[in-house]
Amino acid sequence: MKILFLAASNVGRNRQRTLVTIGALAFAGFIMLFYASLIEGFLQTIEHTAVGMDLGEIQIHQYAYRENPDLYQRIEYPDDLIQKLEAAGLSASPRLYGFGLAASGSASAGVGLRGIDLQREPAVTQIHRHVMLGEWLEDADPEGVVIGRKLARTLGANIGDEVVIVTQAADGSLANRLYHVRGILKSIGEGLDRSAVFMTDRSFRELMVLSEGAHEIAVVRRDTALDLQSATERAVRAAPGLEVMNWRQLQPVLATLIDISGVSLMFMILITYTAVGMVTLNAMLMSVFERIHEFGVMKAIGVSPGQVIALIFTEVMIQTTAAGGLALALGLPVSLYYQRHGIDLSGWTGTGTIMGVAIEPVWYCRVTPSTVFTPVVFLFIVAALAVVYPAVKAAVIRPVEAIHYR
Amino acid sequence: MFLGPACLLLGTAILAVRPAVAGGAESSSERAKRILRTVDDLWRGQSSHGILLMQVQTAHYIRSMRMEGWSKGKDLSLVRILEPLKEKGTSTLKSGTSIYTYLPQTDRTIRLTSGMMMGSWMGSHFTNDDLVKESRLGEDYDPSITFEGDRNGQSVLEFTLMPKPQAAVVWGKVVITVRAQDYIPVNSLYFDEDMALVRTMNFSTVKEMGGRRIPTVLRVVPEDKPGEYTELVYEQMSFNLDLDDAFFSLAELRRK
Repeated sequence: MKILFLAASNVGRNRQRTLVTIGALAFAGFIMLFYASLIEGFLQTIEHTAVGMDLGEIQIHQYAYRENPDLYQRIEYPDDLIQKLEAAGLSASPRLYGFGLAASGSASAGVGLRGIDLQREPAVTQIHRHVMLGEWLEDADPEGVVIGRKLARTLGANIGDEVVIVTQAADGSLANRLYHVRGILKSIGEGLDRSAVFMTDRSFRELMVLSEGAHEIAVVRRDTALDLQSATERAVRAAPGLEVMNWRQLQPVLATLIDISGVSLMFMILITYTAVGMVTLNAMLMSVFERIHEFGVMKAIGVSPGQVIALIFTEVMIQTTAAGGLALALGLPVSLYYQRHGIDLSGWTGTGTIMGVAIEPVWYCRVTPSTVFTPVVFLFIVAALAVVYPAVKAAVIRPVEAIHYR
Repeated sequence: MFLGPACLLLGTAILAVRPAVAGGAESSSERAKRILRTVDDLWRGQSSHGILLMQVQTAHYIRSMRMEGWSKGKDLSLVRILEPLKEKGTSTLKSGTSIYTYLPQTDRTIRLTSGMMMGSWMGSHFTNDDLVKESRLGEDYDPSITFEGDRNGQSVLEFTLMPKPQAAVVWGKVVITVRAQDYIPVNSLYFDEDMALVRTMNFSTVKEMGGRRIPTVLRVVPEDKPGEYTELVYEQMSFNLDLDDAFFSLAELRRK
């Protein structure tokens, strides 16, 4: 307690230096807090777009399907499988895929057809909420299709326009049918934007002359507390003889990108904090040198080296605590503000894609316990490391020499 | 035609090479070109018209279609489906390197995009690209005679076509065998870049049709899909008709 009192009064002695040190630490803490929430926001956006709009967390296929996605590689009894998955605490939706040609007016483009189970899909992805123009699919409108935004541009198609889909049906015949554009999706990812044509699964089956089965079962955890790995294991048990993969396995590049971004955040923290660590080191070293005489006297009246170290540590910790508080007081409101409003980068860049996942030009922060505490905890660690040298320096002073030091 | 739903579908192509200089010593390559041109002429004529039956057997379906086709030169051809009813009137127009398909159900004409070129033509083992590329075989490949003599009891000539160095080609090698006495084709083998056999085309049932002796049955067998094949049976053929270029137009394509 005495040490704390003494340290506090020492901190107050050179106000200017104290303010500069606290300022530097607080600024670094604030920047990192904000940066961490920005990165987290970015990663969650990617993950949310890729997983929540398209992939689902886990996908089930026939083993050969992903290698060679042809019409005949189907899961035979999707309903039974979905029941089993649901019993295991997962939500699932069957999907049908095909390839074909879409033509509107004189324009045409190769497309990926997707047959969607409108009752089940909303439990897995949020794509039905991602419509830019028009409306999502409706069972009552079997001729209505929803298409990707770049495809709409390629075809020059607007809501209500006719689109002919031509493809080879499962019986080998040249299937072709007239549809109308019911909706145009917001950007999701390169592949989807450019070529996706969503239709109801019934329309898909009629077009493709396909009565049964599904090409893919997309699965998500109903309880997010369940980790992805255990959920995958549950799905594996529910789907013997089928290929079960979670999104990290399906999109390893994306998963790696997300992992690496976490590491890069630590690097940023390391670099920034090394710099403020130096500032702190310098300030404390100076403060020790200024007080050599004083430390000599303290040692002479019986203060142990350990107590000297404790004193200097406490001085730094008082400053760091003030800085940490300041960083939180500044960083948290700013991050929370941008979590809600986002940073509009549309003046700088349009909608871009990273690893084929669309990124909107509005960048949202995302505040999580880890984005708040990691920068603050590291601030204390760095300050503690920076002060080791000055503290030891003060602790090993010889009283007689120090008293005569001028 | 090496390929061909021959004359009809493909506009008969084969080796479109300049006539060999008459007289003098003929090099092996020139001889190969000359003979292949004769083979080509067998199917070509200036124009042709015919009716054929296409049967497709795959692991997933069996299809049988009757179609009528016209061709002129090697760049123009028009094929119209007669049966089955579901696809009646569906027509394909090949004009140079473009392929258009008319779809009567939706009353639309579409031009196939490059992305669809490797897709199956009418559910058969022919790709759309085959229809376009076949006529370029003579431009993209150099032929040479690689075998001459008896094989399976008949006297044959074997030609090997290797792609020209700069040509953008689908096949790594094409081997064509013809009968020595009348140059009627026996089979052609298509190899990929790794020189693995990809598909075989067998010609059989030589008959007189339209004043020519031609093989009237052509069977394509893909190597990677055992049990599958596409067979074309020529039911009627006539050659050198008076066909206007305007016949091979989008307007004609839509005519029912």
